[in-house]
Amino acid sequence: MESPHVKLITTRREFLKSALCGFGYLAFASLATEAAAAQRNPLAPSAPHFRPRAKRVIFLFMRGGPSQMDTFDFKPQLNKDNGKTVNKDDELLGSPWPFHRYGESGLWVSDLFPHVAGHVDDLCVIRSMQTDSSAHPQAVPLIHTGDFQFTRPSIGSWVLYGLGSENDDLPGFITINPSRVFGGPANYGSAFLPAAYQGTRIGWEGKSLKNARIRNVSNDRFPADVQADQLDLIQSMNEGLLSEHHADPKIEGVIDSFELGSRMQDVAPRVMDLSKESKKTLELYGIGEDTTDNFGRQCLLARRFAEAGVRFIELGHGSWDHHREIKDGHERTCAETDKPIAGLLTDLKRRGLLEDTLVIWGGEFGRKPELQYGSGRGHNADGFTFWMAGGGVKGGQAYGVTDEYGSKVVENPVHLHDLHATILHLLGLNHKELTYRYGGRDFRLTDVHGRVVNEIIG
Amino acid sequence: MDTPGKPAYRRISWTQAFQTEWLRTLIWLGIGLVLLALIPKTGSAAPSSRDRDADGKRHWAFKPPVHPPLPALANASWPKSAIDHFILARMESKGLVPVRDAAKQPLLRRLYFDLIGLPPKPSAIDNFVNDASPNALEKVVDRLLASPRFGERWGRHWLDVARYAESSGKEFNFTYPHAWPYRRYVIEAFNQDKPYDRFIREQLAGDLLPSRSREERDEQRLATGFLAIGEKRHNANQKTFRMDMVDDQITTTSKAFLGLTVGCARCHDHKFDPIPTEDYYSLAGIFLSTKTLYGTSKKKYSDHPSGLVPYGPDAEKLHKAYQAYKKRLKKTETKLEEAEKKLKDLKSKQKESSESKTKDGEGGSPTDKKVAAAKAKVKRLKGKVAEIKEGKPAAPRYAMGAKEADKAVQAHVAIGGNPSKQGKQVPRGFLSAIDVKDAPEIDPKASGRLALANWIANRDNPLTARVIVNRVWHHLFGRGLVESVDNFGALGKRPSHPKLLDYLAVRFMENDWSIKELIRSIVLSRTYRLSTHYDRQNGRIDPENSLYWRMSPRRLEVEPLRDAILSASGALNLRRPSGSPVTKLGQKLARKFPYKKMNPANHHRTVYLPVVRHYLPHMLQEFDFPSSSLVIGDRAETTVPAQALFLLNSDFILEQSKKMAKRLFKSEAKGKTRRIVLAYRLTLSRSPSIEEVTEAASYLSQSQKGLRSRYPEKERRRLLAWAGLCQALFASAEFRYLIEPPRQSHPPREALSRLNQEIDHGKPPR
Repeated sequence: MESPHVKLITTRREFLKSALCGFGYLAFASLATEAAAAQRNPLAPSAPHFRPRAKRVIFLFMRGGPSQMDTFDFKPQLNKDNGKTVNKDDELLGSPWPFHRYGESGLWVSDLFPHVAGHVDDLCVIRSMQTDSSAHPQAVPLIHTGDFQFTRPSIGSWVLYGLGSENDDLPGFITINPSRVFGGPANYGSAFLPAAYQGTRIGWEGKSLKNARIRNVSNDRFPADVQADQLDLIQSMNEGLLSEHHADPKIEGVIDSFELGSRMQDVAPRVMDLSKESKKTLELYGIGEDTTDNFGRQCLLARRFAEAGVRFIELGHGSWDHHREIKDGHERTCAETDKPIAGLLTDLKRRGLLEDTLVIWGGEFGRKPELQYGSGRGHNADGFTFWMAGGGVKGGQAYGVTDEYGSKVVENPVHLHDLHATILHLLGLNHKELTYRYGGRDFRLTDVHGRVVNEIIG
Repeated sequence: MDTPGKPAYRRISWTQAFQTEWLRTLIWLGIGLVLLALIPKTGSAAPSSRDRDADGKRHWAFKPPVHPPLPALANASWPKSAIDHFILARMESKGLVPVRDAAKQPLLRRLYFDLIGLPPKPSAIDNFVNDASPNALEKVVDRLLASPRFGERWGRHWLDVARYAESSGKEFNFTYPHAWPYRRYVIEAFNQDKPYDRFIREQLAGDLLPSRSREERDEQRLATGFLAIGEKRHNANQKTFRMDMVDDQITTTSKAFLGLTVGCARCHDHKFDPIPTEDYYSLAGIFLSTKTLYGTSKKKYSDHPSGLVPYGPDAEKLHKAYQAYKKRLKKTETKLEEAEKKLKDLKSKQKESSESKTKDGEGGSPTDKKVAAAKAKVKRLKGKVAEIKEGKPAAPRYAMGAKEADKAVQAHVAIGGNPSKQGKQVPRGFLSAIDVKDAPEIDPKASGRLALANWIANRDNPLTARVIVNRVWHHLFGRGLVESVDNFGALGKRPSHPKLLDYLAVRFMENDWSIKELIRSIVLSRTYRLSTHYDRQNGRIDPENSLYWRMSPRRLEVEPLRDAILSASGALNLRRPSGSPVTKLGQKLARKFPYKKMNPANHHRTVYLPVVRHYLPHMLQEFDFPSSSLVIGDRAETTVPAQALFLLNSDFILEQSKKMAKRLFKSEAKGKTRRIVLAYRLTLSRSPSIEEVTEAASYLSQSQKGLRSRYPEKERRRLLAWAGLCQALFASAEFRYLIEPPRQSHPPREALSRLNQEIDHGKPPR
């Protein structure tokens, strides 16, 4: 892929970047005059609170709730007790899929994820996740915003607000094929944070990604050279205004936005164009195969965005909500995602990106060990599995324990607020200090909760 | 989070900056460190509640505003009004000197956008510039205040605060087809200059106010939509649903009118303001004794159906007839469904038996007769349904709103905010920290809404007038005298000009709470008329311009931005639409509608675009439209690449720039130069300089050349090149801000005509 940074312009922003840690920063801070603080490019990179382990996040959101005891949380006792009656009239359902040990770590993975299983030594499997609600409408906003009671900023918005964007050519927070249900856009919205921190959507869940694009990055009216002339005219008018209004930061902001916007125009379609990828790479992600094509594209796009410096990338996939026919259902959803995810991990690793890219996999909750409607499993908020890879987490380990059936956490619980605190921590942000004042009160992603799970950090 | 600011002095050299600012910073840093070391460590815990309440009542905002005397001035000739006295006094105390007054053209543009949210027409510019009479400005201001466009501009400011939207938000987000009458009410209220105290009473208790006519009664009832349009989770359990709705009503009422965050007290005593939990539940009792009419029906994810407010002529009668019709129709339709099902069953039975009949040769099953009878019944019922439908009575108009509940109740404190943990019962009442003389009593049989409204809309309430005059000031200067416009509590900012704030508040109440009078007095002040030009000397003393030594450049919000584009293109439809695109959608899940269905082509003013929570029109999403889930009196202002891309590539901008190009060709402006001049006047409300004309002309010829490869027809190329110019004007910072243009001489007449010759008759421009 052609480097997106072909047209490097020495901007104040870059100067600032290099000066961030030094004394220069103080001088700049004092230079910021009227409204400069408010008018600076809200997406300019800013220093984390401490040394980060990860620079960016790829969140693979499996909407509907994947079943932990059928994927990453092996429960031999459940299989033994298959059909046994519990809680008066519930019947246990052993996993229909065999588990095997993989890698040097010997972690258990079921046959649903044969490709991902090849990466277990990079995975930190958190088997003790908990959330506050076992209903989708609450649990989906919870996992995204830490709240369901009120409309709050998405975790991607918080991260972008905390760190700014690493690139000048693309949005800093991109969500690919999000769902329209359970809050829909509120799950990547910025709520009371400025709109600059909202997620940029590409596609919708369940729709083909082939022709999806970022809004307004091109028009059919003007050829590139004519638009370049037009941009020159706009910027010339703006410079004229600026010369009259002594370094007005608002006008500078407009000038910058066109500079960045025009670069985004060049870069975004190129980053989104998968045609230059080798056949081998496409195959690695399962692109071209019916089952894996769409999620494969999502994963490959995620890698390309990560490479280009996008701060937070979310990939949506659904639905995993198999109250009935879990056998067919999970076989399908796993088949759709297994190879693409494995491809993503392989690709990130060989490009050296996995080191500072935090990959997170999970749904809004997990599933219950008992049989539901004769062929499926119900929702489980008291114990479920997430895994993370790269970005400073200790791979090849499982953290936390559920009971013998995988129903409830019995050791080392990780509440979703803890997960959020840990994600921010890995990005170099203290979840207690990342605050925003709205309506007279300081708000944070983790509200008054959150514990950094140090044990999973490598 | 501390983020480094972007250096503001773009054009000075770094060495220069380092020599001066850098050194100064180091010195300050040193002083700061010494001071920090000297300050004794204080506990960071929140103050105890007794201290808090005692301190709290001493908080400036809880003391009544008093009419302050005019301060003495060194330069007594500068002020044109009392406002200027207060402003200049602060400036003089800091050694600031106000910059010059704005020139007539930019001042007119400023007034138009601030008062009606639209640019002045070229003829209006000429009239104003040529009007040498001493009251030229007053005439314009009075005309704009009287324009029906005024309410569309200022009503929208209020809708931000009232968290106006046309859907329930939250996870399931049902569209609210009858939210828009509240919007219309608000716009009308500003147009009529409804006294603000009355505006408050109507929104909180309009249904309880006496009325002289049906129209007045309707209007007052529509106002209570304020209580009904908040976010709601329609599938929550009954108790949670009620308490969440009440919470939204308390939060919005207290923030909007009083600038206080009372919501915190739902779970615990307010940590910083003197608002104990009991106060919250005193207010909760009032809203629990109120029936909110949001008009959802029972369906999947919607478990708490409610009625609406019928309005219009004969509303009650029509409503009754319409309800009866719906009931009857439903009953017959159910019967029809049953009959159809029966017929289907019989038919399949008949089929089975006819199959067996061919086998054994028997005939005349009793099923045949039954089928015939069932068929007849279906036919009859179908006829009846059609007949009922034919007699469909006219439906009344409906709006969201509120009325008294069947029974007045007292709320129990919910311990920790958990509705199932009941604490003590508290009588209905108001905030204990605010002393209002002769506070209205709550009738034991009434909800107390009217008393609450009277308690807020009260000359003795120290907050009400201050909060609204500050909101108005904020919209006219880009910053409130109290910067935290929604928070006058301990965590809010202190006023920059406390005396001026009090002066405005007291005058406002004396003027019968007239918003228009208030705006008039502010925009006619000399302070408002100042130029946006920067002054180094002043800038060094007061870089934030918090003392108003100039008018700060301000960005147009998305509404005036879009309206100005439509106005320049000639596409703007100033007719006030009846209803909203959401009305046609009915009450459904918002996610079910494709974007185009929710946002059909619409050239009305932006205030009339549908506001469905989480599914805003694209342009609103890009340009900082506030979240309608929250009370927001101070919109964020971010400048990001997505906005640049919208202005470069969106369908909307491409369409409007082409429309404007066509308009230029249809106009009387003949020749390139005159058309360029007109384009500037339509967009930037001024004529271009000679250099600008030349630059635009050379852009036009350049881009026409560039378009050759794609567009074979010359006419089309010409039109699109002009469209490109119009688009560049829309995208320019000058168009998007209220800021004075680059200093320039007016192009002298002869220079223009020479340019005309050059540009229009072959001679290439420089």
